[in-house]
Amino acid sequence: MNVAKKHFTCVICPLGCEIDVELQGGNVVSMEGNKCQKGKEFVLQELEEPMRILTTTVPIKGAKWAMLPVRTDKAIPKRLLFKVIEQLADIELQAPIKMYDVILKNTAGTGANIVATRNMKRTATTRDVVQIDG
Amino acid sequence: MQVEADVTVIGSGPAGLTAALYAHKSGAKNVLLLEREEELGGILKQCIHNGFGLEQFKKDYTGPEYAERLIEELEKTNVQYFLNTMVVSLSPNKTITAVNPEKGVFHIESKSVVLAMGCRERSRGSINIPGTRPAGVYTAGVAQRFVNIDGYLPGKEVVILGSGDIGLIMARRLTLEGAQVKGVYEIMDYPGGLKRNIVQCLNDFGIPLYLSHTVTEIRGKERVEGVVVSKVDQKMNPIGGSEQFIGCDTLLLSVGLIPENELSTEAGIELTPITKGPVTAETMETAVPGIFSCGNVSTVFDLVDYVAESGIIAGRNAAEFAAGDWKEERNSVEVTPGENVRMLFPQRYSFKDDLILFIRSAKPIEKPVNIELSPAGIRLKRLYARPNEMVRLKVPRDKLKDIAEPITVSITER
Repeated sequence: MNVAKKHFTCVICPLGCEIDVELQGGNVVSMEGNKCQKGKEFVLQELEEPMRILTTTVPIKGAKWAMLPVRTDKAIPKRLLFKVIEQLADIELQAPIKMYDVILKNTAGTGANIVATRNMKRTATTRDVVQIDG
Repeated sequence: MQVEADVTVIGSGPAGLTAALYAHKSGAKNVLLLEREEELGGILKQCIHNGFGLEQFKKDYTGPEYAERLIEELEKTNVQYFLNTMVVSLSPNKTITAVNPEKGVFHIESKSVVLAMGCRERSRGSINIPGTRPAGVYTAGVAQRFVNIDGYLPGKEVVILGSGDIGLIMARRLTLEGAQVKGVYEIMDYPGGLKRNIVQCLNDFGIPLYLSHTVTEIRGKERVEGVVVSKVDQKMNPIGGSEQFIGCDTLLLSVGLIPENELSTEAGIELTPITKGPVTAETMETAVPGIFSCGNVSTVFDLVDYVAESGIIAGRNAAEFAAGDWKEERNSVEVTPGENVRMLFPQRYSFKDDLILFIRSAKPIEKPVNIELSPAGIRLKRLYARPNEMVRLKVPRDKLKDIAEPITVSITER
């Protein structure tokens, strides 16, 4: 049977192991270059369905800053990253927000939630003042 | 008005927060933390991507989560912090002059001081790109602040010069926000940032990376209309005839970071030309007794975990110094770069702590190497050595106690 060779750079930690894989009929027959078990798991997952954590921001009102940083609480399929971004486009939050508050449940059907990654207190912002005056 | 403190930490990024916490944990009664911005956390607040604290906390935090974890811990202590507080001078006898809206100009007399001011980005001026001076040229970190905190997209069609980690992170970030990143151009023949960032920030999104290329002209009157990129030869000189015009409205610069040491210089602290940070011992003490430094003001580290580790050491030793327990039992020795070593941190060994060495190779060596300490006879085997990946090497104090001459660190092919 034909042996197919594939190369991966592990993104789990900053070491960035260069991993060479040999595949026979879709099955991994050899793997070289991973320094730990996580590297092996990474490659198997990449072959099946590449998964990534998504981090982005959502607009927030009544806070010191215009944007609240958020993340998926677990890795989601890479092909769905832009779908999640689209879902988040319509959201605008109101301060206060606590770190790990759920902003959006089961985003794009991935089973992952979008959560806040920092506390954001309620404060009067320039934006609020402009609205009151207007 | 005058404030007194045992340990004063300047800067509340990852290094300063950690140093303040560990000065407190090590018994310093009166710890003061100074921050020029309106909240604690430094640059972490705009680094919304994950990958922070993998080694230190065994967690995959984003920058803000990592900062909140440290801040929550700090809030449980009696460490005092002043926000909106700019330090304007530091004297060799450790008098700090600072200014903030509540106190005006005031002085702090501190038994020991920890410098944790971090670094700043090199800009267009530091690399002298020819051309016009239109709007739309930003450093990657400024663009990061615009997008992640202020909610502005700096442009729609972006070229990134330099492949430092912040540039790579911003390539992904701008792509997710709907901008088109036309390419990342790197003057060296190897990438500046971590390999994992090449994969998950560029390859994942089909953004091309061009090595041995640089921007040789910026065009546009009011706004950037495009840049000219050229291939460079081995001496990094642009090759005539290789020019190519790339239309874009934004140029991001990710061309290196420089430790911010104006205060250190004023305090008479000796700097090294390689790291552009203070000459530092393994205790994080600078050449001025009682003034310690940690994090990116010392040398630009690859990982926040390393920054925090240097903060722990600086905080602990600053507390010890403030308590009056500080003795130099013997003269320190120099730690000097040997073959194939460009950068070494720290540069002195004073026989007090274990030696935690950070090493950058002078060139990429894609072959198995030995990293050797002479005369200590310590050897670390690695599969390769790359300038963009710092090597961390911990040498226990026991193995160094008999040394009397300078320690030389070299990288040789096996």
